[in-house]
Amino acid sequence: MQRPNKKSVSATLAAATCSLLGSGAPVPVQAEEDANWDFNTALLYYSEDNRRVDDYSFNILAKRNFVDDRVLSMGLAVDTLTGATPNGAIRQDVPQTFTRPSGSSVYTIQAGELPLDDTFHDTRVALSINWEQPLGRLWNTSAGFSGSKEFDYLHLGINASISRDFNRRNTTVSAGLALARDSWEPEGGTPIPFAPMLDVGDVSNKVGDDEKDVVDIVLGVTQVISRRMLVQLNYSFSDSSGYLTDPYKFLSLVDGATGDTLTRTPAPGAEGPSHEFRFENRPRERTKHSLYGQTKYYIDGKVLDASYRFMTDDWEIDSHTVDLKLRWPFGANSYLEPHLRFYTQNEAEFYAISLVDGAALPAYASSDYRLGNFDAITAGVKYGWKTKGGNEMSVRAEIYQQRGSIPSALLIGNQIGRETYPDLDAVIVQFSYLFSR
Amino acid sequence: MNRVGLRCALALALAILTGACSSMGVEPWERDILAKDEMQLTTDPVEAGIDDHIYFSKEASSGGRGFGGGGCGCN
Amino acid sequence: MTGGGPVRDIQVTRGESCWVGNFSAMASPCDILVETGDADETRRLTGLAADEAWRIEAKFSRYVTDNAVARINSASGKLVEVDEETASLLDFSATLHDLSDGGFDITSGVLREVWAFDGSDNIPSTDAIAQVLQRVGWHRVDWQRPILRMESGMQIDFGGIGKEYAVDRVAHSIREASSCSVLVNFGGDLCVTRAPTERPAWKVGIESVGGGQGAADTLIDIRTGALATSGDTHRYLLRDGIRYGHILDPQSGCPVTNAPRSITVAADTCTQAGMLSTLAMLKGSDAEAFLDAEKVRYWCRR
Repeated sequence: MQRPNKKSVSATLAAATCSLLGSGAPVPVQAEEDANWDFNTALLYYSEDNRRVDDYSFNILAKRNFVDDRVLSMGLAVDTLTGATPNGAIRQDVPQTFTRPSGSSVYTIQAGELPLDDTFHDTRVALSINWEQPLGRLWNTSAGFSGSKEFDYLHLGINASISRDFNRRNTTVSAGLALARDSWEPEGGTPIPFAPMLDVGDVSNKVGDDEKDVVDIVLGVTQVISRRMLVQLNYSFSDSSGYLTDPYKFLSLVDGATGDTLTRTPAPGAEGPSHEFRFENRPRERTKHSLYGQTKYYIDGKVLDASYRFMTDDWEIDSHTVDLKLRWPFGANSYLEPHLRFYTQNEAEFYAISLVDGAALPAYASSDYRLGNFDAITAGVKYGWKTKGGNEMSVRAEIYQQRGSIPSALLIGNQIGRETYPDLDAVIVQFSYLFSR
Repeated sequence: MNRVGLRCALALALAILTGACSSMGVEPWERDILAKDEMQLTTDPVEAGIDDHIYFSKEASSGGRGFGGGGCGCN
Repeated sequence: MTGGGPVRDIQVTRGESCWVGNFSAMASPCDILVETGDADETRRLTGLAADEAWRIEAKFSRYVTDNAVARINSASGKLVEVDEETASLLDFSATLHDLSDGGFDITSGVLREVWAFDGSDNIPSTDAIAQVLQRVGWHRVDWQRPILRMESGMQIDFGGIGKEYAVDRVAHSIREASSCSVLVNFGGDLCVTRAPTERPAWKVGIESVGGGQGAADTLIDIRTGALATSGDTHRYLLRDGIRYGHILDPQSGCPVTNAPRSITVAADTCTQAGMLSTLAMLKGSDAEAFLDAEKVRYWCRR
């Protein structure tokens, strides 16, 4: 039996409730669904000593949570790099002149100095999009794109992963796959392996562009150990194939007895290298395996984050990484987080300091310090706080130091004592702001 | 550590985990601490991404926690 | 916390960003979240809340043998004189019965004799339902404040409004006793006593339908007012793939067809929120249309 509603249901109900509760007119309700977007932004300053690399970067990650635990994430990172990086040549007791990668001019390094190439003023833009979607109660899936562009490099990638919960959600097993196609368009072109560095204007030692494909697989297990402790174990497999060489790096061609770099005279009227240099060459294939374990442990309000990673690959590099962080809250709204990281790696199988004139050329050779034998320490502290509006800010400052050594078997003649691993000292400063809209 | 050794270590780790897994853990109402932001495995994904990128550019290893990182012409 | 101890105790703990007092009442965990107070203030306010909640439960629960409701239900057709509070609840129930065109009926509780919503497939027969319907119907009740007379065999049950009413009464007591912003939450039916000062709003999660181990699906920011949820997540019957929710239509004696799985409504008081969500459920497939027409803020899951 319908009756015409002279007043709306809400109005009648409001009046009836007022009579029931007898407490006067209530304050009107203000209730709305939570902020839709979470933003995580960061400004980074990275600087190495001795005129080496400086990097300024801005990062932003925007996340939107939908009903049913679906999540859309979008990330943008913009980096500006300036400064110089070791070009791979050894020091000499005389000045050395090199042709720039573009092939259009030269630069000179003073006697006794570590040769650095400061060609790299580059801006890199990286974008990523990720979609996370649960399937039923226990399964979760995600898929995404990533891309980045620098002056001479383009990266395009896709990734997908899937996970399932077990044991009342105490155990999660996950698997992920990422595929990437990266292409190099180096200034001047990619050099022919072991080609000599030539005079300005002579590009016969360079060919066109090249690319590499990367396949990454990650398998992981996350386990809740107790109310205060969580553990994760991951196995990763990575296979890169294609152009893995650094097109801007080379080795000095040295005399087999003295270890000094052979000198050279540019063609009449031309500018060019003062010594003999040969562009490096790395294998076109690299397979890496990593084992990674991490724990988060809650002790009396503080959280310890400890992780260990072991990596081994078919370039014969093994590395160990230990990372420790302790989040120490104080007051209601802030925390201090000291951080310590230890890293060590041994050199690649084809790591060399120089090439010997007259000796048989090895299949592969690179003097890139990043393939060398070194230890690194990061030490820093982060301070974070909650703002009045409920947002979060933090600032962290860290120092990063690499100290390496060159296996004595790789040093010849005058190189011994003069040639040392290019130790690195850098500072990292980051400011973060997290807010919701 | 060679390939065989690595495989053995991996198999052992997984066996220990899966064997112990079914009895370990907490009830849903005991997840209060685990639900805190600072107890998530990656507390700050942007900072983790920044660090991954720095170390990928300066060292020969990458990834571990997630994918291999990279996508940059700096190594 | 001791196992096997009295159910009637209060605990006070430090939450994420506020103090929390809790106790059990009306088959629900009851939380009193105090924004700017301290442990002592929280204990005091939780004590007030628990006293009022337990008082209402003792007075109106159908499980207690000699309270106001029991006296009415055992009257066997004789006249009963009720007190002011019970009279107000009966007046309210009468208005709601009118407003819902008979859908909301506090005499429909006896239908639980044939419908046990335990997840099984025991659907009662038409005859069984018809039998019980003889004893259902507010129109069979003679209510002239403060005198009530029901036919013998009929029962009243305030289960449909009791919890929301308790939330509002508790919120009122706390509002009078403290200037702190307090969130009173009785198992999902909640009310804010006054607007918070140190944060834009209280954050409340609506539990996802179908489990999810308590993971909140939708997060709601509530600054003032109340939320109440009607839903069949835990109480239902399942037969031949058809899910029978537990909201019964007192006129047919059967569950309302095509009702949403869950509705959460925001309103000025918890009582209004609870009634609006119940009225919407009774409309079955027209639930959303009804709430849209009333210009009510709601979250509905089918």
